[in-house]
Amino acid sequence: MHIMEGFLPLRHCIGWSVASAPFVAYGLRTINKGIKENPEQRMLLGVATAFTFVLSALKMFSVTGSCSHPTGTGLGAVLFGPAAMAPIGAVVLLFQAILLAHGGLTTLGANIFSMAIVGPFAAFGIYRLAQALKLPFGVCIFLAASMGDLLTYVTTSLQLALAFPDPVGGFAASFAKFAGIFAVTQIPLAISEGFLTVIVFNALARLNPQELKDLNVVTAKEVQA
Amino acid sequence: MLIEHSAYTNRWRRVSPAAKGLFSLCGLVAAYAAATPAAACGSAAVLCVVTVLGAGIPPLRYLRVAAPALFFLAVSALSLAVSLKIGPSMADVSLHLARTGFQRVAQVCGRSLGGLAALLFLAMTTSLIDIIGLLRRLKTPEVLLDMMTLCYRTLFVFSEAVHDTLTAQSARLGYATMRHSMHSLGGLVATITVQVWQRSQALHVAALARNNDGPLRFLEQVYPHSTRDICLAVSGGAALVALVRVIS
Repeated sequence: MHIMEGFLPLRHCIGWSVASAPFVAYGLRTINKGIKENPEQRMLLGVATAFTFVLSALKMFSVTGSCSHPTGTGLGAVLFGPAAMAPIGAVVLLFQAILLAHGGLTTLGANIFSMAIVGPFAAFGIYRLAQALKLPFGVCIFLAASMGDLLTYVTTSLQLALAFPDPVGGFAASFAKFAGIFAVTQIPLAISEGFLTVIVFNALARLNPQELKDLNVVTAKEVQA
Repeated sequence: MLIEHSAYTNRWRRVSPAAKGLFSLCGLVAAYAAATPAAACGSAAVLCVVTVLGAGIPPLRYLRVAAPALFFLAVSALSLAVSLKIGPSMADVSLHLARTGFQRVAQVCGRSLGGLAALLFLAMTTSLIDIIGLLRRLKTPEVLLDMMTLCYRTLFVFSEAVHDTLTAQSARLGYATMRHSMHSLGGLVATITVQVWQRSQALHVAALARNNDGPLRFLEQVYPHSTRDICLAVSGGAALVALVRVIS
């Protein structure tokens, strides 16, 4: 759920843009370093951005029977790394604002923070933690994708609650209200995205194990398992 | 993509993107400068009329593009209007309409409408290639511009690949049940994921074959009446901001 153009107060737009800028700058620095070592990464990241854009336009069936779109934060974070996902997400969100009128230019900073920073970093952190706990590969991927998705929407709720505290209950009541509204659709959706990402990685491990090994996503042992 | 279609077929296709960008920026400033909901709605109406009558965008297409954002706005406005009251115990939670919040909801809706109209003006009159060109002139980092250019050029290739695969899967009843749908969609995403590497490798080889030594370079588009367009856009934009301040 992107926050639409003009919805946030000006101070919040500036604040979230300032908060997102260091992550995007760090991501760009990482990408520039990577391109110097492997020039083919320039093309890879451009094509990966298009992939993320197309992925977010796919229709996905939720476990409640409704229909929505995957965010792809978990998949992208595991495949390309969370640092690269900040600039990739920034470009995707800019394109969604200009090509689809989803989100906006003034709310770009806030949307980048929730979808391209919190989601991917949380997904990657959970993936690594689950790996460290020696959980099965499928469970690691499921947790990363579904929690990355869910935390994205928790962040959006937080952003809306900070911008519009409830006149009676303040920030806490406002956060409970927005999170409650999102929970109805987003919890089933996060579970669906978790399952979908597991199916994607299973298919990749079955049909294209070499690519996964090249990206250090899995070890040879995990592919065989 | 309706916006993309409009961006290439509107009357102001050859107008300098800097002029359109400045006018859109003035529209955003007007939306935020409006002190009353009526002033913000007035700014939205002016921008909407300029886009439809000036750039020649069909009104029905304009509405179709704006519809999802308007739906989001309606749901959000309802969420803002409703207040959650939490009592001393967890069971004592109630929802009620906050009358004092109506002014705030109206202000947010007016501002969002103004902002949306400004965004649609830019999006429906300016192609993404022109916007990327404008960002290049504004000294946006090269790597970000390369990502945008490659993304724009590849996303239609991917869209077609997705469409073809979906058609083939549907023909084999791959989306007949929810369980099949999930499995088919997983297979589709996995196939497209692999294409990311295959296509990027092919692009890299093609770029090397043309002696590419780093950033992707393009000739800058020349707009015949750029200075005049920018002057007109700034005047129009300033008039819009002034109008909003006056009726506030």
